Amino acid sequence: MPTLRTEAVSKEFGGVQALKGVTISLPAGSTLGLIGPNGSGKTTLLNIIAGLEKPTSGAVMLGETRIDHLPANAIVKLGVAKTHQIPRPFAEMTTRENVSVAVMYGRRRIKDTKRSLNEADRLLSLLGMDARRDLPASSLTVQEKKRLELARALATGAEVILLDEVFAGLSSDELRDSIQLFRKIRGEVGFSALIVEHVMGAVLTLAERVVVLEEGAKIAEGTPDEVVHNEAVIRAYLGFEENDSPG
Amino acid sequence: MVALAVILSDLLFGMMLGCVFAVVAHGLNLIWGVVKVVNIAHGEFIMLGAYGAYFLNVFGGFNPLLSAVVDGALGIFVGYAFYFSFLHRELRGKERITLRSEMVTLVSTFGLSLFMSNLAVVAFTGDFVGINWSPGTVALGFLELPLGALYVTILAVLIISTSVVFLDRTYIGNAIKAYSQDITATQLVGANPTKVASLATALGFSITMAGGALLTVWIPTGINPYMGALYAPISFVIVVLGGPGKMLGSLLGGLTLGVVIDVLQAFVPVSLAYAVAFLLLIPVLLFRPEGIVK
Amino acid sequence: MRIAGLGVTFFGLLALMLLLLILPFAFPFSTSVILINLLFYTALAYSINFITGMTGYVSFGHVVFLGIGAYALGASADVYGLDPVLGVLLGAALGLVFALAIGLVTLRFRGVYFAISTVVIALAALNIVLELPQLGGSQGIILNLGFQPYSWYYTIWGIVLFEMLITYYINRGKLGLGIRAIKSDEDAARSVGVNVSALKLYLFGLSGLFAGAGGAVFAWTTSGVFPYETFSLTFSLQMLAMIIIGGVGTSLGPILGAVVVYLPSYYFLTVAIGTQLIIIGFAVVVIALFIPEGIVGTLKRRSASLRELLE
Repeated sequence: MPTLRTEAVSKEFGGVQALKGVTISLPAGSTLGLIGPNGSGKTTLLNIIAGLEKPTSGAVMLGETRIDHLPANAIVKLGVAKTHQIPRPFAEMTTRENVSVAVMYGRRRIKDTKRSLNEADRLLSLLGMDARRDLPASSLTVQEKKRLELARALATGAEVILLDEVFAGLSSDELRDSIQLFRKIRGEVGFSALIVEHVMGAVLTLAERVVVLEEGAKIAEGTPDEVVHNEAVIRAYLGFEENDSPG
Repeated sequence: MVALAVILSDLLFGMMLGCVFAVVAHGLNLIWGVVKVVNIAHGEFIMLGAYGAYFLNVFGGFNPLLSAVVDGALGIFVGYAFYFSFLHRELRGKERITLRSEMVTLVSTFGLSLFMSNLAVVAFTGDFVGINWSPGTVALGFLELPLGALYVTILAVLIISTSVVFLDRTYIGNAIKAYSQDITATQLVGANPTKVASLATALGFSITMAGGALLTVWIPTGINPYMGALYAPISFVIVVLGGPGKMLGSLLGGLTLGVVIDVLQAFVPVSLAYAVAFLLLIPVLLFRPEGIVK
Repeated sequence: MRIAGLGVTFFGLLALMLLLLILPFAFPFSTSVILINLLFYTALAYSINFITGMTGYVSFGHVVFLGIGAYALGASADVYGLDPVLGVLLGAALGLVFALAIGLVTLRFRGVYFAISTVVIALAALNIVLELPQLGGSQGIILNLGFQPYSWYYTIWGIVLFEMLITYYINRGKLGLGIRAIKSDEDAARSVGVNVSALKLYLFGLSGLFAGAGGAVFAWTTSGVFPYETFSLTFSLQMLAMIIIGGVGTSLGPILGAVVVYLPSYYFLTVAIGTQLIIIGFAVVVIALFIPEGIVGTLKRRSASLRELLE
């Protein structure tokens, strides 16, 4: 399993510096949290890693392979998958067909329909969605669609999963369940995770290390404990976002 | 000197042709820009406007300019009927139009185009007809300009500039502009989205049918049930050149197309001039999807 | 869900094709002319189904590939005296090449932009051909290939058979699943690894190939190539109407649509030319607005037992 790194990645949109030389590293099997206020560049960085946007300068490396010039579907085949912040299921297809597409076209390139369906079923039951298998994805609730996003990302056989705000919009009970579910999945399927969140709670619980972005620049990096006590972070982030209590 | 005169007259005629193309495409532009759907049967409504002018001339002795006014009034009703039968179901209660609705409209208006053009063959026969109206010429230096075409040019520019002023300066025009930005924004300015969208569609059809009447001045023997198959693609190219939803874009796209066609005709056969004009669409979509001017 | 193994639809289509294989011997000539035309329209319907039916990219100018195929056979038979069967292969090859070239550019445009770019390309192609003296300009090419109903019939039969098999193969397996994902949401399909651009180009290439082959057969049966007739947008419209009425994307829809669109028009033709297109146009409007899945899709939605049988 390779390490994912961004090396001094910058991105400019029509004269605006959205990212200013951001370097992060996600060693194999680890969990890295990426937090920051709205507009700090989290989503841009995620999109660059996933190949949805090209960096203006800098590089994205997966192990020894440079991936920032590759199209998104090629990056998925190398083992990096991203969930959508707003779920985008294939609405007309059933839930298991949705997952099955990812099994067949992901890193593992499974050709056999039956095998891919079995694998889809296994993942759906891991995520507690057996009962939804044969329903059209359009009929799922928002939370179920978010789980389907995760199921599809796992189904690609990804070694690195980029999670874009999967814990947002949950009640505290739901959040607790989701965190438990996430740990359970990590126990069964090995992958490194880059968790981007606006809400800090889940990140501080799950991540081993946390990177904080502000206005496109990295202002802090460390363990969750170090980061919440960092002066710059408190000033830049917590001060303005009093609703998002840490922990 | 003679060569210069030829080039100048080509340029001038190209611009005048461009203006009539512009007004023919303008209704499509308005609907495309505001309601975000493309009416594939656009050409058939131009055809309807042209036949309107033809029959008003045959039975009422109307000249095409007068017929354009009548066509424009009829177009309002046709536009409302079109909105409520083809677009309303797709747009009602939506925040923005979906790709699926875009495709439904594309296919349903394609069926409409097939239906209308072939019904017109039964109703009007497939023969080419035209309006015999020649109000004379006016001398402009060394050029003889046909007055009919000159009147059409003036009217075309007038119609397009009026629509710009209407959208910019009136309350309902602003509501239409708000709708084109975001359907929900229409409610923020206190307007009913359905009323706004249907009015924009009605205005678009009014201009399209009036444009069909004005076009007859340029095609003295060219009114035919299948004429839409030429003027719809011309309109598509013009709107893409000008940028969908940019009202002055119709004029810019029309002038570009008119000049390209007229000037190229001096060097290559007519059909090649049209081929080049049609294919302009591709590089514009590739490199300037917002239209040739930002 | 499509599970490996062949279904009722497959054997139904196979039986139909076997029946069509022996039918010309059982019926008089006049009937086989109807069958030739029916198979010709079926070939066109399957051809446009590859791109428009499967991905939702509406190819309004699909006639351009038919025209290219027709001219390929016309010119090769006229100038080099090439055997018409080889002319059909040449038509298919040129259809493929042009589709790949055009698709490489136009498949980047989504929704209406793709649709109108195909319209202008078809119109431009007609206008260019009109000015090519090598291709007969506005006169076209008159061929003298004779009346060869059995060769026509089995050539077009072979084309349809290939199209059906490929359609069925695609719809059943991995490709079909990826293509349905593209039709549903292109960006999301990319995000799970589907090579969207390559798949779209592959399908457009297939559709160009078969439209080219069909066009070549058209030139062969009419023993000539006439630009206005060959590049008539009415062909594009009929192709679209057939799959919209039959059911887009399915394996059965195109042949069903061809039967529904062609057979009545054969009879209407003797009553009043043009009447059939009024009715087809009206049917397309009604179907697009009220039953967008077409005949096959609607039957599948209405009945659970048919869902398993129809593909």
